[in-house]
Amino acid sequence: MGSLVPGKLGPVLLLRLAVRNLLRNRRRTVLTMITVAFAVFFLHVWNSVLTGLERQSYDNLILYQTAHAKVFHEGWFELRDELPLDRSLDNIDELLMRVTEVPGVAAAVPRIAFQAHLSDGRDQIPVQGLGIETSGSDSDVFRISQAVVEGSYLPPDGYGLLLGSGLARAFDAGPGDWMTVLVRTRTGVWEAQEMEVTGVVLTGNPSIDQNSFLMGLEPARAMLDMDGRATELAIRFAGTVSERSVLERLKEALASDDGLHLAGWREQESEFIALTEVKRGGGLVAMAIFVVVALVGVANTMLLAAFERTQEVGMLLAMGMRAATVRWLFLLEGALTGLGAGALGTLVALGPIFYFAARGIDFSAMFAEDMDIGYPVAGRVFWAVTPAAILVAWLGTAVLAAAATLYAAARASRMKPAEALRHV
Amino acid sequence: MEAIARLEAVEKVYRAGEVEVHALRGLSLEIERGAFLSLAGPSGSGKTTLLNLLGALDTPTSGRVEIGGISTEKLGPRTMADFRNSHVGFVFQTFNLIPVLTAAENVAFPLQLLGVTDAGERRRRVESMLDAVGLPGLGDRRPRELSGGQQQRVAVARALVKDPDLVLADEPTANLDSDTAEGIMTLMQDLNHRLGTTFVFSTHDPLVMDHATRLVRLRDGRIESDERRAMEPSHG
Repeated sequence: MGSLVPGKLGPVLLLRLAVRNLLRNRRRTVLTMITVAFAVFFLHVWNSVLTGLERQSYDNLILYQTAHAKVFHEGWFELRDELPLDRSLDNIDELLMRVTEVPGVAAAVPRIAFQAHLSDGRDQIPVQGLGIETSGSDSDVFRISQAVVEGSYLPPDGYGLLLGSGLARAFDAGPGDWMTVLVRTRTGVWEAQEMEVTGVVLTGNPSIDQNSFLMGLEPARAMLDMDGRATELAIRFAGTVSERSVLERLKEALASDDGLHLAGWREQESEFIALTEVKRGGGLVAMAIFVVVALVGVANTMLLAAFERTQEVGMLLAMGMRAATVRWLFLLEGALTGLGAGALGTLVALGPIFYFAARGIDFSAMFAEDMDIGYPVAGRVFWAVTPAAILVAWLGTAVLAAAATLYAAARASRMKPAEALRHV
Repeated sequence: MEAIARLEAVEKVYRAGEVEVHALRGLSLEIERGAFLSLAGPSGSGKTTLLNLLGALDTPTSGRVEIGGISTEKLGPRTMADFRNSHVGFVFQTFNLIPVLTAAENVAFPLQLLGVTDAGERRRRVESMLDAVGLPGLGDRRPRELSGGQQQRVAVARALVKDPDLVLADEPTANLDSDTAEGIMTLMQDLNHRLGTTFVFSTHDPLVMDHATRLVRLRDGRIESDERRAMEPSHG
């Protein structure tokens, strides 16, 4: 199909010309594409590992630490590093009823988070204690019961300790050992209690594994002088609903009570999320630099092509082709090189991505089981990829390859036809 | 007879660093429609410069160049391109076909640049032109599959397919053996007779000069002689 504008070419002919020009030097085109494809491959792999790590991290946070949302006493969240007991929720049953009536809420459970010192008689370590329901409702929201790697879960009466795996290693303690829990009650009185370690948990979440123990909610209430109280109400949403809409409904349901603060998991972990985004950004920039370096090859190839085809470009210009059309021709050749390279790199990357998305990579085989790698994950890390990531990498490569051709395209289109025709 | 091109007191000066090269010195020339004109002269006499000015590939330093009633010296780059597209066909010494296109696609190329969107019309004009240059049935071949003479015939077809006012041929026989060169010149002469298209050649080749109905000799950027000959029937 021809163009309606004199001096321009229709898109079909322009595309045909560009493809055939690329096929002129098949070996050179393929080598250039392979270089870029190699960078695209690593970009995909890096992105998939990061995406997998992030998804598992967020799942881990929700399953072991933040739930989908929590309700706190007003002011507790701002002072959360101090775990203040004097800003606790008192009318738990009524609050529980209001929360569980909200459509989209699957379960809710009260907890007490408190500062404590744990001692085995020789050493004493400041830690975080968590008082949790042992009757089963905590397991409706969290997965702690499935993270026991040694010993057993807490007994129904709640008298016992579940140690984070790192903490157990620090004390060289395990099931059957007795530990002393030293706390200050809600009224500021020091209180100590001896309890038997019933099990060890490994969650992959450093805040639990390295620094926490868990005990029953009722014994914790008794020890902390928190009769009927809790520091938080953790809420799990039904799997099929939109997080944002449930949060909105919860906000409405709790709006009448000024003394409460509702925080979704993203708000609770806003610092971690910001940090992962910075890590992702930094990593992607590093990978993008890799791709850009590879694209220098495209720039070089296209510049060589512009030089080799000087006389031909002169002839095209002499015949009346507009300089802009010459520019588009070269840009299209660059973009097609990027598209081909992006497709090649993506196709090759999809193999390992799908394999490790299904099988995962066992990080525990590479590092200590509860080593903090900056992401709260344990065991196997499953790679993940989204269609959007594939599309962005693929089309992005094409756009960058076209951008890498800008100089060659500008050089070709700025040629004076009479001089270009004399070029030997 | 109506003039297709008119040059008045044309000067062309190139600057190479501090050095000024006077390629054309006050040259005036009128070329009538349907001419079969050859520009001859030694290297550096100004043949190619004159051809470039006639083809709107370049503009004069001073003076006036008018092609088909349009003064080219004031045209911008885009208008010059459009002007070449509509009015001028080129035949080059080294054929300069687009190597990735077939012979037929090469001939169709100027039509596409001209905005002829009807594929049927393009095909008809291309086939007719390939027939006219003696290459029926070879439209599917790529340039590398054609001999030098055949490639130059395709180039002639490409130059003529858009029915230009002027065909400019820069040393069209320089890369051809004498038999093939004779064939090409006969072909162009025949097309000149049949279609009335104006041809202007630059050449050193006596064969081209022999075919010309007007021979303009240049020396040092000036016209040394302007010889008109009687129109002869085609050699072919």
